[in-house]
Amino acid sequence: MTPSHEKAVLTVNMKLVGGAALGLATMLVLSSCGSSTPETGGGDKAAGGGQVTLKMVAADYGDGPGKPNSGQTFWDGVVKEFEAANPNIKVDVQVINWNDIDKQVATMIQNGQVPDILQTGDYSGFVADQLLYKVDEVLSPEVSGDMLQKFADYGKVDGTAYGIPFVSSARALFYNKELFSKAGIAEPPKTWDEIKAAAKKLKDAGVSQPFGLPLGQEEAQAESFLWMLGNGGGYKDASGKWAINSPQNVETFTYLKGMVAEGLTTPNPGTKDRKTVWEDFGAGKVGMVNGGPMSIPIFDAAGLKDYGVVPIPGKAGPLDTTLGVMDWIMAFNKNGHAAEIKKFFDFFYTGSAAQKISDTYKLLPVTNGGIQKLSGDEKLKPFLDALPNASFYPFQDPKWADLNPAIKQTIGGAVTDDPAKVLGELQKTAESS
Amino acid sequence: MRRLRPLEPLAWVGPAVLLIAVVVIWPVIEMVRSSFLQISRVGVVRGYNGFDNYDKLFAEKDFADIMVRSVIWVVAVVALTVLISLALAQLFNQRFPGRKMARWALIAPWAASVLMTAIVFRWMLDPEVGVINQIRLKLGLIDALGGADADQLGVAATAMPWLVFVAVFVSVPFTTYALLAGLATIPSDVYEAAKMDGASRLRTYWSITLPLLRPALTVAALINVMNVFNSFPIIWAMTHGQPGYSTATSTIFMFILKSSDIGESAAMSVVNFGMVLVITAVFLKISRWNRAVA
Repeated sequence: MTPSHEKAVLTVNMKLVGGAALGLATMLVLSSCGSSTPETGGGDKAAGGGQVTLKMVAADYGDGPGKPNSGQTFWDGVVKEFEAANPNIKVDVQVINWNDIDKQVATMIQNGQVPDILQTGDYSGFVADQLLYKVDEVLSPEVSGDMLQKFADYGKVDGTAYGIPFVSSARALFYNKELFSKAGIAEPPKTWDEIKAAAKKLKDAGVSQPFGLPLGQEEAQAESFLWMLGNGGGYKDASGKWAINSPQNVETFTYLKGMVAEGLTTPNPGTKDRKTVWEDFGAGKVGMVNGGPMSIPIFDAAGLKDYGVVPIPGKAGPLDTTLGVMDWIMAFNKNGHAAEIKKFFDFFYTGSAAQKISDTYKLLPVTNGGIQKLSGDEKLKPFLDALPNASFYPFQDPKWADLNPAIKQTIGGAVTDDPAKVLGELQKTAESS
Repeated sequence: MRRLRPLEPLAWVGPAVLLIAVVVIWPVIEMVRSSFLQISRVGVVRGYNGFDNYDKLFAEKDFADIMVRSVIWVVAVVALTVLISLALAQLFNQRFPGRKMARWALIAPWAASVLMTAIVFRWMLDPEVGVINQIRLKLGLIDALGGADADQLGVAATAMPWLVFVAVFVSVPFTTYALLAGLATIPSDVYEAAKMDGASRLRTYWSITLPLLRPALTVAALINVMNVFNSFPIIWAMTHGQPGYSTATSTIFMFILKSSDIGESAAMSVVNFGMVLVITAVFLKISRWNRAVA
């Protein structure tokens, strides 16, 4: 090799050292970057004239930023009205999508940037760390008295109310009438046997997913619970002990496994999210699917008109209960703004805002007054009827928060692998301390 | 003034050192610290937790599988990426009509957001409407849309190859360009000398191109190793690590753990970090990167 080559090689080698150093730095950055903490200005700095700024974090029920129904647009409207009536209180609302809100709020709390008001899917996790105001400190008795009693009861931990029901939702079975008549099915199913029979007819008629079964990461815990209820099972037994691998539940998933094996459901249910399956239903590819009021806009958007809504079939007959899902609003005590928060909450529930959120997002109200106002809506009627007798996740048990992600990730395996084994693993997770 | 002279370099490297300390070293310390804390799910630190987070992590039923899968994932993606990029770099180093266009086209997968690419592929593989399945239907490879046969992302055995494919697809452009730059540094007179000595093309490639390309190759592969190991969006967008955890790597697992146990998730991060260090060390050892090439 000539000297000039050696020099060339040397230069390259030196570049390599630089490159490796750069690589090392990249590696450090890549493996250490956690979630970013969103900057939220404002906080609790009281400006002159006794002005108080409430910091609020809310989940987005709409289709995301920039969409006409975005949560930010909704809350901006509410806040504008509130601030006009209460010139001394400013409200800063930060809307976060459902996938990120829990992690981001955890990061805020970890960093000491606690909001005053939080609206999300669960309150119980905050109680143990004594972060929340009691409901009677931030809500007038007239407002709390109008709450549906069963809902308000779920807002309590050890007899003290911390969570304020915000909106609710219930589930029922949707079926595609056009596909049903094409397959020659006269009536929507009421029992599991009838589901199977209908699914077979649908399959023979060329429907690719006779029953839509989303047991994937998005909401497997809901779909599973609906099926468990159909066989007298659930996540817990009557005495309040975890019973995920109870004989009833194993039987339930064995039945589902049979459906999957015969190709009567969404393929590989353990990997399918509910939104995808609802969209497939809207596109006329799915014969039946469990859904709620919030799936109606998705079906409408896909152009599906001719569908029916009936109670969810159980093993022996239609369910007399259904899955009720409640979202919550709560007040944090760190910044000491109880009086201002109370004004905001009372404004929200007694004014038009609570009604507006139900209308905009097809969510069900949580107050007796609200339910009466909606009782004329034909599409919502099956859900409103089901609400008072709804069943809920055991979310007041602190273990539920640990368990829920595991259910979402793995319970779909129970319809392809051994049901007893998959449910047994989840039971172990639930029972571990 | 003269006494301050020795401090002068500090003024130049100071900002960089500070930056590294703030954005690199401090988060690493925080990460390690978090892994020894008991943190409630809502983010309240409840105190020192010893090695409990690690014990819990190592006791997870799927932990061993996930770690093994992560290594296979890295090796498969990086090996395929490097092999394909070596060929592409060679091709793009030739003069041919439209070379400029071809080189530009190669940038596209790199320029597009990885998350977007992954979502596009997920939709192309959708069992009901995906274009790849439409083509397979036309070719007679599947009987109907919407069934289990059309659902390649639903089973680990077929999902994993697709994930690897997408990861290779987004890694190839950078790697090819790094290798192209390496090829450009090889002087043409070595090739002339080889030609005069009567070396075959294969022999020339093996004995001249590859050894002289090794520095560029090492850097490209190393950066890929770290990138792929920490790769999150492709798997998350296409399978969520499902069914079960059967397509999850340790990075995905870390993210899933974050929603149930922040301390355990931090422990997973530390293990991840250690893994990257180990893989990198092994890789550098194998490739003997600091040995003189001549």
